[in-house]
Amino acid sequence: MSSAELIVPITELLYREADFLDTADLDGWIELYTQDGTYWMPVTPEQEDPINHISLFYDDRTIMEVRRRNLNHPRASSKDLPIRCSHIIGNIRLQDDQSDGLLTVTSNFHCAMYADDKQELFAGKYTHQLVQVDDQWLIKNKRVDLINCDAALGAIYIYI
Amino acid sequence: MSISEVDVSVSNQQLNDWVRDTKAHKNVYTDQQVFDLEMQRIWGRSWIFVGHESQVAKPGEFLTLDFAGMPAVMVRDKDNAIHVLHNRCGHKGSKLITKPCGKNARFTCPYHGWTYKLDGKLVGVPHQTGYEGTGFDKTDPQYSMQVFRTESYRGFVFATLDAKMVSLKEWLGESAITIDNLCDRAPEGEVEFAGGVLKFDHECNWKLFNENLNDTMHPMVVHKSVVDAANKYIATLPEDSPNRAEAEIIPPFGSSYEIFEESGITGFDYGHHYDGGKISIHSNYTVIPEYKEAMLKSYGEQRTDEILSYNSHNTLYYPSVTFKSAIQNIRVVRPISASRTIIETYSFRLKGAPESMLQRTLLYSRLINSNGSMVGADDLEVYKRVQKGLQSGASDWVEFHRNFGADKQEGKRVTNLGTSDLDVRTQFRAWKHYMIGAPLSGEAV
Repeated sequence: MSSAELIVPITELLYREADFLDTADLDGWIELYTQDGTYWMPVTPEQEDPINHISLFYDDRTIMEVRRRNLNHPRASSKDLPIRCSHIIGNIRLQDDQSDGLLTVTSNFHCAMYADDKQELFAGKYTHQLVQVDDQWLIKNKRVDLINCDAALGAIYIYI
Repeated sequence: MSISEVDVSVSNQQLNDWVRDTKAHKNVYTDQQVFDLEMQRIWGRSWIFVGHESQVAKPGEFLTLDFAGMPAVMVRDKDNAIHVLHNRCGHKGSKLITKPCGKNARFTCPYHGWTYKLDGKLVGVPHQTGYEGTGFDKTDPQYSMQVFRTESYRGFVFATLDAKMVSLKEWLGESAITIDNLCDRAPEGEVEFAGGVLKFDHECNWKLFNENLNDTMHPMVVHKSVVDAANKYIATLPEDSPNRAEAEIIPPFGSSYEIFEESGITGFDYGHHYDGGKISIHSNYTVIPEYKEAMLKSYGEQRTDEILSYNSHNTLYYPSVTFKSAIQNIRVVRPISASRTIIETYSFRLKGAPESMLQRTLLYSRLINSNGSMVGADDLEVYKRVQKGLQSGASDWVEFHRNFGADKQEGKRVTNLGTSDLDVRTQFRAWKHYMIGAPLSGEAV
């Protein structure tokens, strides 16, 4: 499939992911990821390594599964108030190299998050690595580079 | 050098009245004047954690920090001596360095180009002719970067603004056991900073963070949701699923009152204390075989067992840093105002240990202490609620009665049950010592 043809289903996938996060629906969100999928939010710009360096998030399936169960738990006091987000995604580009069977897609995002009675704006760059399973595109890895990842941030209550 | 006197209307009598044996007045958490006095009398006197020597491993390397509200820089000079300096130009007061870390041959002010050696000494003032006969003397120390009194213990660098403060070693006293244990856990007996820093903005007073470290009555309540979530997920995994590292880290936060009670709290002079010793919520981690092998080779069996069986949960070196030796991470407290504190998390590599040990430390720091942590978010939530509640008036007192009367004083050590409020009482004893000169050791606060 050419880039011109791919851009439509890939954009649709990014928008679907954003929809799930906008409504804090991690049960739907997790289905967009492969079983060996990861979600990574580095704490330094151009960080190379999620294992030998600290990160804000580096979730595998295990932690994703714990996080979705924790989100709506009645005793998770930091999530007593509903979380609502609004994601805007743009500058979507498909990278040429698909040699490892993964399609890399970069995009810019703005995410306004209303959580714990406070609204915050997060902005930065997404890097999605996608894989086609049967007819469906799934997320193998997602990297979220906040422009202020190395600032003293507060709690981040949900995936961005 | 010292922090300038603060002009406040709070009297020593009021400070004395506001901190009792078993309760503290809400003002000590909310009043900005009390905070300003704390910066002067506690943070301006105590040994404050600055950084680890390995963070400035080579001559010229520096890192900047906020030292009790003052911009500071830790730097290694060309003779390998480490200095902690006021990060401020001696001319007009401009902050000299804004980068978090880097490497320089000297420090130059961006305003008029005054230049300082790495030990803070002023060496360059452009166009000096204008100063002739004016009485200005470049060698007068007041024009240099001011030098903090600095000492280090096993690579951990502390500084104080009080020339009369006892030595770092005496100040640490017997509580140094946790720093020793952290370093001894390295087959080579040394640790180094590794894997970067987390910075976490906390909308609460610095004391609320410190008082929670060994508050063992909170984990089973505050962290119930994440423990439930982890256990529920683990239950869906097949029996033979390999023991996931994550699974080891989260569920102990839901340990019973009885387990925490047994762990015990030990308090020391100057507000230091730890929970645990023989057992803690970190007791049951799997020992990585290659690590055990390296330890046995360095220390032999008996000493290795001794080192690995020391299990404290948090050891607070009051007021600025808390150590987890079994995890190899520390958290650093940087107060900003009465209701705001930045908490930094550092991880350490055990020299001579396999890299998987550092990876486990980082996994822990990320799962428990990061801004994205499910555990940390719920801790922060309760600190914020307390801060807001105390600011709202109504009841004036925060209580810490639990097991009062059973604090056992043995020399300079005080012990009680793990679920006691001994940790809070120990901190407030030091608070009164620094704030109004109350004695350190004694039966009552």
